[in-house]
Amino acid sequence: MEMLARCGKQNPGAGRPFGLRLRMVGMDPRDIHAAPGAQAAGQVAELDLNRLLALVARGDEAAFEAVYDRLAGAAYGLILKVLRDPAQSEEVAQEVLLEVWRTASRFDPAKGSAATWVMTIAHRRAVDRVRSVTATVARDQQAAPPPPALDEVADAVEANLTRERVRNCLGGLTELQRESITLAYYGGYSYPQVAKLLGAALSTIKTRIRDGLIRMRDCLGVSG
Amino acid sequence: MKLRRHDLHTLSGAYVLDAVDSAAEYDRYEHHLGRCQSCAGEVRELREVTTDLAMAATVQPPPALRPQVLAAVRRTRQLPPVIEDEPRRGRLWGWWPGLWSGWLPRLAVGCAAAGAAAVVVLAVILVGVQHRLDDAQSQNHAIAAVLAAPDARVVTRPTSAGGRATVVLSRAERELIVTTEGLPPLPRDKVYEAWLINPRQTRPAGLLPTATGGRTQPLLATGLARGDTLGLTVEPAGGSAQPTTRPIVLMPLST
Repeated sequence: MEMLARCGKQNPGAGRPFGLRLRMVGMDPRDIHAAPGAQAAGQVAELDLNRLLALVARGDEAAFEAVYDRLAGAAYGLILKVLRDPAQSEEVAQEVLLEVWRTASRFDPAKGSAATWVMTIAHRRAVDRVRSVTATVARDQQAAPPPPALDEVADAVEANLTRERVRNCLGGLTELQRESITLAYYGGYSYPQVAKLLGAALSTIKTRIRDGLIRMRDCLGVSG
Repeated sequence: MKLRRHDLHTLSGAYVLDAVDSAAEYDRYEHHLGRCQSCAGEVRELREVTTDLAMAATVQPPPALRPQVLAAVRRTRQLPPVIEDEPRRGRLWGWWPGLWSGWLPRLAVGCAAAGAAAVVVLAVILVGVQHRLDDAQSQNHAIAAVLAAPDARVVTRPTSAGGRATVVLSRAERELIVTTEGLPPLPRDKVYEAWLINPRQTRPAGLLPTATGGRTQPLLATGLARGDTLGLTVEPAGGSAQPTTRPIVLMPLST
């Protein structure tokens, strides 16, 4: 199963025909009532993230691998943006993904999507790390690593599309909105720190962040 | 820094970006979120925006990460789901609002009429509630202590009656937790009893709670000693002082 997932990673789409064939012989890959672990890797990988997390909560390791393959790249990439140090980022990413496994039963789809839940954990962990003094020292001594090539990622096409959409929408913000949001989210700075960096009043930064995110929401077509 | 109501509303953006650093401000906003539905909706929507920001940062993770995480997953126990109607707080005062909206007002009227005697009854009831909550809370703490112990170890064995028993033990805490899955249900007058057995003595370690959905709630046993083996037997309801039937499983607990 691990082999199969690896192939899929190196050659995007390689897993698809397998899933298709399974569907053609009349098995419903979305049937989550089957015993956990009884599903073939191709089937599990086709489930949507919310259902996968429900399986993970029941201890289904194959479902967890599928969640890993969909979200580890984004979690690691986000943590790397904040921390910049690849070794630390790898460590934090491992903590985050293990947290996803450990607390999957606490995920509540009514409160937001599965991807949002995982990315919220990832960002919080990264920010916690960056705000501890030792980490700050370590980070200051590190040079930014070159970003790994994106085309090796399994969902490279989708990731590229999202990246393009986000870039477009960020481009539609005022400079102060854009800088406030990127410094806070990708930089891991608190909003008082952002205010200081940008030489603006606290209340200004607070409202710019909110206005900017609302404009992003409308631009991205995110529905709650 | 004093926050006005308007300021609280505008904190949603900084909040979803984890950019609220002051604990006091963070707590005040979370409190506000509990009461402001439109704010909670806004936070939910803005969080989805941050997810797109995260997705846009996707890179290829280091190849070593996947096997590391999967190996860690294999040796990590998962948290059980939260059951909604569990007491949210173990302390008595956390219960007051719930009590006031339920039977307490009626009871209070009764108290006023019946006089001081009824007040004593009420006090006794509340002390009982407090004790039960304290017990539940200290049991939860003890279970968490075993699970979190650095030397926590898991032993699983099938039983001769079917199903399997799982023990999580910590030598440092001298405690263990027993759960079972798929054991055959017993008639009303019988119960599964756990024992700590070593060459010198056999000590009762507690009665397994009735199973729900084929699983028993964790049983916490204390006083784990070197060389102990855990045994499970079927005993008359209420348990026995010494085992009266042949154990359905024996689990050596030493390394």
